Amino acid sequence: MMVAAYGVAANKSSSAPTKAYKKVGTLRAVLDTIDFLDPQQAYTGQSWWAMWNVYETLLTYKHVDGPAGYQLVPGLAQSMPKISSNGRVYKFTLRKGLKYSNGKKVQASDFKWAIKRGFLATGQGVGFYTDIAGAKAYAAHPTKGGNISGIVVNNKKRTITVKLTKPRGDFLTILALLFAAPVPSSTSTQILNGKIPGTGPYRFSSFDANRGFTMVRNKYFKPTKYIPRGTPDKIVVSLIGDANSATQRVINGQADYSNAAIPPDRIATVKNKGHLVLRDTANTYYFWMNIREAPFNKLKVRQAVNYAIDRGALNRIVWGGLGRPTQNVLPPTYPSYTKLKLFSHNVAKAKQLINQAGAKNAKVTVWTRDVSDARDAAQYYTSVLNAIGLNAKLNILPRATYYTTIGNVATHAQTGWARWLEDYPHPLDWFDVLLNGNRITNTDNNNYAWYSNAKTDKAIESLKKAQVLTPAVNKRWATVEKQIMQQAPWAPWSNRVFPEFFTKKMGCIHVQRLYGIDALRLCRK
Amino acid sequence: MAEPATDLTFDSAALLASEEHEVTIVGRSPWYLAWRRLRRNWLALASLGLFFVIVIACALAPVYAHHVAHTGPNEVHAGEKVRVDGKLKDVIGGGSFYDVNKGRFVVKAPTYLGPTWWHAEGRFVLGTDNLGRDVAVRVLYGGRNSLMIGIGSALICTLLALTLALLAGYYRGGCDWLISRFFDIIWAFPVLLLAIAISSALAINGFHHFGISIEPGSLWIPTLVISYVLIPYIGRPIRGQILSLREKEFVEAAIGQGAGPLRVMFSDLLPNIASTVLVFFTLIIAANILTEAGLSFLGAGVRLPDPSWGNLIASGQDQIETAPWLSLIPGIAIVLTVLSLNIFGDGLRDALDPRAKVRIEH
Repeated sequence: MMVAAYGVAANKSSSAPTKAYKKVGTLRAVLDTIDFLDPQQAYTGQSWWAMWNVYETLLTYKHVDGPAGYQLVPGLAQSMPKISSNGRVYKFTLRKGLKYSNGKKVQASDFKWAIKRGFLATGQGVGFYTDIAGAKAYAAHPTKGGNISGIVVNNKKRTITVKLTKPRGDFLTILALLFAAPVPSSTSTQILNGKIPGTGPYRFSSFDANRGFTMVRNKYFKPTKYIPRGTPDKIVVSLIGDANSATQRVINGQADYSNAAIPPDRIATVKNKGHLVLRDTANTYYFWMNIREAPFNKLKVRQAVNYAIDRGALNRIVWGGLGRPTQNVLPPTYPSYTKLKLFSHNVAKAKQLINQAGAKNAKVTVWTRDVSDARDAAQYYTSVLNAIGLNAKLNILPRATYYTTIGNVATHAQTGWARWLEDYPHPLDWFDVLLNGNRITNTDNNNYAWYSNAKTDKAIESLKKAQVLTPAVNKRWATVEKQIMQQAPWAPWSNRVFPEFFTKKMGCIHVQRLYGIDALRLCRK
Repeated sequence: MAEPATDLTFDSAALLASEEHEVTIVGRSPWYLAWRRLRRNWLALASLGLFFVIVIACALAPVYAHHVAHTGPNEVHAGEKVRVDGKLKDVIGGGSFYDVNKGRFVVKAPTYLGPTWWHAEGRFVLGTDNLGRDVAVRVLYGGRNSLMIGIGSALICTLLALTLALLAGYYRGGCDWLISRFFDIIWAFPVLLLAIAISSALAINGFHHFGISIEPGSLWIPTLVISYVLIPYIGRPIRGQILSLREKEFVEAAIGQGAGPLRVMFSDLLPNIASTVLVFFTLIIAANILTEAGLSFLGAGVRLPDPSWGNLIASGQDQIETAPWLSLIPGIAIVLTVLSLNIFGDGLRDALDPRAKVRIEH
């Protein structure tokens, strides 16, 4: 399996814990932060880690380790959907006897309400659902009584039909996002953290935005082939922002698990005081260069930057080497990944390219957000830009406003730090969202390089239609990736592995590739 | 023999005149007397000396960086090697790595080049930080920034506070009420929280109003923010002194003789509070350096990558186990600077007015 477990026998089995292990009882977890515990609002890995055990979607992912964790399986749906030959109509049937944690029956119309609720509450994930027929019109004037014509439901027959305006190869994975988790149609459009009943193995029993939350078993949950009953009776989550404090709690036995990013210098000493698990999740850390703004409107300058970065050194600086140097957009966990070696570290060549581009002493502002790893990476980057002849300065923005600021056309941000962690395992989640010129917007733009190229844009649009990621399709994605990186709108530098820390008393630890530590399959020694 | 009628004898006029020339009573100004008292306080003078040494060392940071360390304060040397005592050493070594054969990461802590103590041709004398930057250069540049902000904000703060206190104390009434409420409003907030709030507000776009344009990241932002938040801490006690002086006969006399407000303020009131202001100024430099360190430590002062003692301590936090010098050295620099200023300030206060109880408290 891809996940390397350090200090713990990596569990290669995807089954439930063996008899030699004890029950978990109460799992005491520490998370650094969450944004929301409302399925139509939450958009952080930490929130999704918890909510995946509370809310179910029509389709979901297997609770297994390794690459099989990317496989879509029926969740609330009784089977995989029927898809029309033109790839625009999806038909689902809900499982029989589904109930929310408050005992109410799950209706097919609840799915429709969840999508509508997202638009009504301007949830963070509504952009994923605008290709549903009638969704754009609904988004323009969302009302409770309004209709999204592309979603047809029949509560009696438990059927849900979703019609798209154009085929989307990643639509099944989009439906598996928690944004599309059905909620009772009586649910208000206000943000209701930890108060909305779900259908998963657990339910939220308490929530305090500053301290944490608790999940207890959902007595109405019935396990399926793909969704097991969880091993912990109760999951108590504390929110602690300071990584050292969070780690110390685990060492002291006050917590069983912490996802805090242990400082690189402490990892070596900490690893023997518990189980250190290195979670290999799909992510890419990169520096973007706005191709609309000088001097990055010149290819030679963008190439120079790529040559100048010592990716190995940067990985060592930022997280003590717990990352793989990369020049790719896609992380290596993707089947379409083909390792790119376009730019070897060569400062002299970088300087030469800057001179050839006539960009010597060009003023550059490097943007980053006020988080330890981003600050360190951006300081290195600023120094490198100065070393190759540019005149760079650093601008550090608060974490909360960073992405909206650099994603606003009015900012004219030239270059900066960014990362992308997959929403769902499909190349479209990377190329369409981050590098498709057709999807550039003046505000909340995710394409920070403002990269647009007729050839690659057309290829992305064409690949959207592919329903299955066949080897041929994967090869086409690899070609698109190479074409994009030859234009160098990014300087990718790392696929990070995330250290997760467990108490020594934990017996088996499993990692689901998309959602991380699988709380349902833990056990104690 | 007849007894003399009296013991008294009369000196001649010539004798008296000659003695007058021998014993001359010299008039001594309060400043001279203060200096005489101060120079007997060797601890205060030594502290002043130490402060000057720190100031000079920090002022010479560019010279040291260019001619000795051969690197700038923000230049990253990660991935480079340096010759120490003839042996090549990694600036940043160790660290975790992916072992292809084992198919997993091998977890190791990174190692940073420690102080070379002049064994590397002047490079990395105090070691490197986690980005491979020269700590000695950054500490000196950091000191430059911290001192510039500390002294600059003390100057601005003292001038503003003095002006407001003079206006309030001289005019009294409505003017005094207005200025006092202004002091109260600022005083109502904890210094650091107010400074963080203002700094954060200016962090993204800077300040571009009233014909003044300050870019984000400029040292003027922490300088002005600290000046502003500490105004009442000087303004209030000085206002009290001026209110008291305003009732004195010599001020009434000056006004009676037709002196205008400005003349009274500058000729009668200001000289009488000059010693207090001078002591306040010395002590507020120390307070401002600490406030700046606090602000920068919390990320709201000097913006990275530019160093200040405060943000150097913060940056070194994560390496406290493997490279404690990263936080210790700037920490010691702050302690020595603030201690020297406080001891000198106390000595100055004792010298200028031994009865005064001037303190900066917040």
